[in-house]
Amino acid sequence: MPLTLLNCDKSIPERKKHTYVKDSTEEILPLCNIQTTPGDFTERGCTYAGCMGVVGGPVKDVIHLVHGPIGCAYWTWGGGTRPNLSDNPQFHQKYCFSTDMQEKNIIFGGNEKLYNAIIESYKEFPEAKGVFVYATCTIGLIGDDIKAVCKQAEEEIGIKVVGFNCEGFRGCSQSLGHHIANDTLFEQVVGTKEPEYTTDYDMNIMGDYNIKGDLWVIKPLFERMGIRILSTFTGNSSIDDIAQAHRAKLNLMHCQRSTPYICELIKEKYGIPYIKESLFGIEQTSKALRDVAAFFRLEEKAEEVIADEVSKIDPKIEEYRRKFEGKRIFIYQGAPRAWHWVRMFREIGIETIAAATTFGHEEDYAKICERVKDGTIIIDNPNAIEIEEILTELRPDIFISGLKEKYLAYKLGIPFINGHSYETGPYAGYSGLLNFAKDIEKAIFAPVWSMIRRRDAKCNY
Amino acid sequence: MRSVTINPPRMCQPIGAMYATLGIHAAVPLVHGSQGCAAYPMRMFNRHFREPVQIAVTSLGESASVFGGRDNLIAAINNVITRRKPELISVITTCLSETIGDDIEGIVRETIYDLEETEGKDVVPIVTIHTPSYVGSHVTGYDNALKAFVMHLSKECDESNEKLNIIPGMINPGDIQEIKKMLDLFNVSYTIISDISDTLDAPLIMPKPPFPNGGSTVTEIEKCTDAYGVISLCEHEGGSAAKFLEGKYGMRSNAVCPIGVSKTDQFVEVITDITEKVAPYEIEKERGKLIDAMVDVHQITYGKKAAIFADPDIALGIAEFASELGMEVVVLASSTSSNAFMNAAKEISDGEILNGKDLYDLHKAVKETDADILFGNTMCKKSIPAGEDDVAFVRCGFPVYDRVGYYRYGIMGYHGGIYLLDLITNTILDRN
Repeated sequence: MPLTLLNCDKSIPERKKHTYVKDSTEEILPLCNIQTTPGDFTERGCTYAGCMGVVGGPVKDVIHLVHGPIGCAYWTWGGGTRPNLSDNPQFHQKYCFSTDMQEKNIIFGGNEKLYNAIIESYKEFPEAKGVFVYATCTIGLIGDDIKAVCKQAEEEIGIKVVGFNCEGFRGCSQSLGHHIANDTLFEQVVGTKEPEYTTDYDMNIMGDYNIKGDLWVIKPLFERMGIRILSTFTGNSSIDDIAQAHRAKLNLMHCQRSTPYICELIKEKYGIPYIKESLFGIEQTSKALRDVAAFFRLEEKAEEVIADEVSKIDPKIEEYRRKFEGKRIFIYQGAPRAWHWVRMFREIGIETIAAATTFGHEEDYAKICERVKDGTIIIDNPNAIEIEEILTELRPDIFISGLKEKYLAYKLGIPFINGHSYETGPYAGYSGLLNFAKDIEKAIFAPVWSMIRRRDAKCNY
Repeated sequence: MRSVTINPPRMCQPIGAMYATLGIHAAVPLVHGSQGCAAYPMRMFNRHFREPVQIAVTSLGESASVFGGRDNLIAAINNVITRRKPELISVITTCLSETIGDDIEGIVRETIYDLEETEGKDVVPIVTIHTPSYVGSHVTGYDNALKAFVMHLSKECDESNEKLNIIPGMINPGDIQEIKKMLDLFNVSYTIISDISDTLDAPLIMPKPPFPNGGSTVTEIEKCTDAYGVISLCEHEGGSAAKFLEGKYGMRSNAVCPIGVSKTDQFVEVITDITEKVAPYEIEKERGKLIDAMVDVHQITYGKKAAIFADPDIALGIAEFASELGMEVVVLASSTSSNAFMNAAKEISDGEILNGKDLYDLHKAVKETDADILFGNTMCKKSIPAGEDDVAFVRCGFPVYDRVGYYRYGIMGYHGGIYLLDLITNTILDRN
């Protein structure tokens, strides 16, 4: 029976449906995208995190104003733990705005405070090109009409004021937050500005957040082929870039969990097709370049770029492949990276033995299942106790996950890479793969692992 | 008074209650709120302490927000008990659950009753802590948590056990180590109520224990009533618990934040006063070493203009020490506003007092006063406006994550004072 109940889950048997050991004779998808079991030590975040923390937050020239009590703004200050680099870091990574709702505001409503906060923020930072207002939990409960307030403020200050109803309690994970951000930006921003000029080779990169500069290695690849990147969504993005996104000829979707909604909406309204690609690893990045080239009829140029890039890293990658041959990895990511990386790791000799996502949907699990070998554990929304059991039982050679799991892995003596915010990075594209391999080398071959001692069994603690 | 807060000086209450819970051995903070209410603070702990932290959450969704979080809380308590076998659970509210208005005391009582019926044995203590995020700050949350712990757990005892209770506040593992060393030199037995010195600075020795070793035990807190006194190191973070012990058990209560010479002198006097033990020569020797270090560098520290931002008690402590170094405190800022801070700050500094003002105002004040040296956490560092970063910066407080190791070293006590002094002096030297 390929569905499995981990030992630590005996008392919460519903977790069995989320835990699948791949068996090609009995293909099923683990249950996903549903409410978390309360108190199971979930690693999930909230809808606000998906909307503000992931999609909205990277926009570099707007005031990100968090409407609610102080904590939520504090956690996402300058991207929080997410290094969404931009060429305007002095603004977007430095300043944190909040309405800092107090008890009396909760009782009497926060509309007025929000309105004043928008006006004051703009007065302090008149260089801002827009204001994004994010509603947190209590705002939904007390029923502040943030959309109306934003409209009123927009009329007053004359720049875009966009309200996101992304209260943390909505949905079951960050995932709904992505959706809300997509819908809101589509409705209120996309199509509100025309580009200075257009070309036949205009393309948007959707769903890349420029983590440690990923976009800065991806973008030149396409530019060398003769493509113009009109807009990036939302890494290093200006609100104007999003406003003119409707004039591209093609949308290239990278993160396929946080942007399919807007790509679909743009396709419906403006007839712009989209393609889904992985921009990690040699094989996948080359495929993306070829697919884009096929659309724009730039095949020859694509082959030139690919040949050049591959020749630059191939000998080194070959060295790493020999070095890593036979190593086993546990990948736990938000969603798409869990499958983006299976093939990429195989290119450097590393096989996936466990794969998990925090908020994956069925498509994500289908893609994971397609890519991993039989016997791989695939687990949806794993909680801290399950992760510890998997790490202890399987003892992978390396675990790639996020900050919350990092020190758990270290305490278990397991090499670790932060796949959310990266160790060094960037990790995308060709040169990124080399950075990735270098970090993996440091993680696996650090001499310290051999110095860990076991406590004397006789010792009582 | 601005409506918008730009670069907030403080976090919300729940993280303070989580901080306090993590200093109790095998305790699990259970956040009654949205998933982000646990995920975000966890990351803050990970970044500052570089340790794994486990925090449970009731994962309130849309229907729970409409119909109440009762079922989620009951299920969560049951799951935490069965799967983690903790020795204590703290149920920590959030703006979400407080606005919904769940009767958490009632729900917890009912859950315990049901568990005891089915299991036929006592359930671990479940302490409820009210920490609505729209009141106070992390400082208030820690204070509320400590008060909830002692109110819930403390038990009347017959005789004194000749122990001293210490309520540390949101200080670092290194600070607690300094305090423990001093008390050991005094040969005083003590109970640290919420002791993170090992739980958030744990060794890497295999196999990893289910919970980090160390922390105050539930039994220690139960028996804290038979101590002969209580000292809160940060009055704003634990002072309420000390007052409660004083009021209910007639325990002698003091608040002193031992940063710098005179405050540490005062700490030593309080210990002597309560325990009737004379300070040993070793304590005097540590004091002498601090004085020696201050003499060595007074040419460097004297006359420097200092701006200080921290939680209220720490800010006051550092300000006092800065004055002892001959510095002029030109800006004194507290993360959390309080009358007590305002009054004490006026005693120390003629400069600008920022009582809970945001860091946008702080940096304006730093610029206006032309301060030479600024004390603050990582947020304070990263929000320094472009082009104004020629001020020497000394990291202190929580969170500090843009450099390693700050949690390991204490700034409290005479010995901690030497560390802080070296930090200050070397920072100034690096600038010159």
